[in-house]
Amino acid sequence: MAAEDLPSEFDVIILGTGLCESVVAAACSRVGQRVLHLDRQSYYASNWASFTFNGLLTWIQEQQAESQPDEVQDWSGQVEEGEDLIYLSQSDSSSISNLQVFCYTSEEDEEDDTPNTTEEEKGGGASEATEAADSNKEDEEETEKQEAEEQVAQDEGAEPEADQPCPSADPNQSEPVKKKKISLAQLVKEGRRFNIDLVSKLMYSRGSLVDLLIKSNVSRYAEFKNVSRILTYRQGKVEQVPCSRADVFASRQLSVIEKRKLMRFLTSCVEETEDQQAYNGRPYLEFLSDQQLGENLQHFLLYSIAMATEDTPTEVGLASTRHFLRCLGRYGNTPFLFPVYGLGEIPQCFCRMCAVFGGIYCLRHSVRCLLVDKDTNRCKAVIDSRGQRISCNHFVVEEGYVDAERKQTATPTRCVSRAVLITDGSVLPSDSDQQVSMVTIPPVEAELPSVRMVELCSSTMTCMPGTYLVHLTCQSVGSAYEDLSPLVTRMFHTTESSDQEERPSVLWCLYFNMVDGSGLEVEGHDLPSNMYLCSGPDGALGHDHTIKQAELIFQKILPEEDFCPPAPNPEDIIYDGENGNGNSAEGEELKDDELKDDEEPKEQEEELTEQEKEIKEQEEEIKEQEEEKEEEQGLESEKGQGLETEE
Amino acid sequence: MAIRELKVCLLGDTGVGKSSIVCRFVQDHFDHNISPTIGASFLTKTVPCGNELHKFLIWDTAGQERFHSLAPMYYRGSAAAVIVYDITKLDSFQTLKKWVKELKEHGPEDIVVAIAGNKNDLGDIREVPMKEAKEFAESIAAIFIETSARNAVNVEELFQKISKQIPPLENPEVDSNKSFKLTQQPPPSARRCC
Repeated sequence: MAAEDLPSEFDVIILGTGLCESVVAAACSRVGQRVLHLDRQSYYASNWASFTFNGLLTWIQEQQAESQPDEVQDWSGQVEEGEDLIYLSQSDSSSISNLQVFCYTSEEDEEDDTPNTTEEEKGGGASEATEAADSNKEDEEETEKQEAEEQVAQDEGAEPEADQPCPSADPNQSEPVKKKKISLAQLVKEGRRFNIDLVSKLMYSRGSLVDLLIKSNVSRYAEFKNVSRILTYRQGKVEQVPCSRADVFASRQLSVIEKRKLMRFLTSCVEETEDQQAYNGRPYLEFLSDQQLGENLQHFLLYSIAMATEDTPTEVGLASTRHFLRCLGRYGNTPFLFPVYGLGEIPQCFCRMCAVFGGIYCLRHSVRCLLVDKDTNRCKAVIDSRGQRISCNHFVVEEGYVDAERKQTATPTRCVSRAVLITDGSVLPSDSDQQVSMVTIPPVEAELPSVRMVELCSSTMTCMPGTYLVHLTCQSVGSAYEDLSPLVTRMFHTTESSDQEERPSVLWCLYFNMVDGSGLEVEGHDLPSNMYLCSGPDGALGHDHTIKQAELIFQKILPEEDFCPPAPNPEDIIYDGENGNGNSAEGEELKDDELKDDEEPKEQEEELTEQEKEIKEQEEEIKEQEEEKEEEQGLESEKGQGLETEE
Repeated sequence: MAIRELKVCLLGDTGVGKSSIVCRFVQDHFDHNISPTIGASFLTKTVPCGNELHKFLIWDTAGQERFHSLAPMYYRGSAAAVIVYDITKLDSFQTLKKWVKELKEHGPEDIVVAIAGNKNDLGDIREVPMKEAKEFAESIAAIFIETSARNAVNVEELFQKISKQIPPLENPEVDSNKSFKLTQQPPPSARRCC
């Protein structure tokens, strides 16, 4: 823990611990590069981070605080003959904007029987953050309290099951089931049970991130859950989208004819036909409506399965439909996975892999400037935040550390609008209160964007029992509040909601805009030739952009090397006692592993052909759909058990 | 016999012998110039405990503690934590409290904590009195033991003590959407859909 000096020579220095930087770090370290990985923040994952509730409140304060003017220090003493100095940007608040916080629950719990425990954590600034957000809060609070009580009374009368308003499921929880709305003080007290991601994405079960996690064995550092259902919002109601075969058969919303049509359509989608090609360049919606599927199915197929908009071209719509279908059934009933403890775990997992292979980690530590060779335009060394000169062969940096003037961004900066809600109930209560739901929401008003909602339950370890964590994401049209609050008001109960329908209440929410990282190229900037920019999170649902970028950077640094070969299994590591030389033992291990690596592609091929077979089987089975209905439901429960199998 | 996998994370300053303790426990081997933890994401060893088998998955810090940059994911789901200090270095004992605090902040609530005073073979240059360490451990309800990874003293015992403190398995969860690990091959019964 002592303030030790860093070594002064590395192969690769990486600044920023977002997903892209972390994957590059792991990949470089894995093949023997000496990696130094720094982040100026005290937490991992940059804009990909997840925070406890209290951590998030601190983050909000930091964002709202005015950024300190750069203290320009003179490093010319460190410059050697023939070197130029490039300063890096010392503040990174520019990627987050329009931050607004609303608290719709009472600040203190009047009947809190253990008030002492909150004190220490409350220092984190909960009250300040919420005060800053809303000046009318006190008035609102009063009405809110009354409303809350009314709401509870209503719930008790109308819904005797009692599992919707207060779904405290975990039997280990010592906390008594309370009918009262959870107060802000309680959220703060239970703050560490929250892991609130700044970015909301899901992992496609056959997407490039899942493939990379498995290929590299980084997957062993984390656990995952299936997104258990796909929902959509239509005509003011939340509905489940039947997407797996089992869902289609079990669906009560669909008529037999619709079921048949849907199955036929999904099956026909899998291969590209001339009929489809004729629609290239024309809207997918047009293609769908020509299939005469009816309004129900058209909505599901356009918004929920293709996750498209009304303008999406047919070829794009079909491609994402195919991707969706390919990802079904690998792990569960939907194409998506979510990491337990939140997405912020994933960069940390890659960082650990880097560290395990010798990478050096240092948070709260940055690079002030680069020393660039005038002749070669290569970055020879950096000067860190303590004034130490550290040499390197390659420098990888998150774009937020680089001044805007040096970056070439092709398009005007696009943003993503985000909202994070802590609610007290699911948007679609069901038998289980532990659902992980992906909700696709078409524009609720003209001029508003379509929105993607992910609702997480407490067993994902991202929120406290009795609450749900809801992430809303869309491409920005206006500010996050302008883009998303109309939807929040419609789907949830807030003080701004007009009516008293039975909807989950929002306890607390946060709006902000984040710069969409998809517009940035790795190279082509006014920067040294051996320096590579990593973009921050993009607005897409999956991670393909980031993983592709990381692989590209790795290939530029080490064109001859394998990208993230599997790390050895713990069981295979042998400390060779007789040679007494750890290094030689390790060398052998790696060779063993390369052999294993050779075998893997075959397995994957088999998987593919199996999948093709399955598709053919499906065609036959459509004809037998009615008989299969019961059997399918059985299969579904079987699947649930299979997922427990490890290794 | 049922096998239970138990994640154990090691904490403590650089150089106190965290890796040596694992290496002694898992491989019964001591290397004088063990290079700081290369290539091992975690090591495993299975020991019987009552009518269960405890498979320890022992996670090492991978050097991320050196500049105080351990990631929260390191603590996730740990059943136990071993905080190691060096009995010949007072500093390493003084930072113990910081590790305890960090564990309280990031670790699971019901985690079993053990404090291991390592290098007890170097008693003649001892800087940390055993009594003081023991009292501190008691004050935080932690297991306390002095070990020597070099001479294979008390390493097995350390893990036996941890084993004994692990609470019996709770009722299996009813949650049908259980979390799982991603592996090379998809789970066998995850059959086709759609």
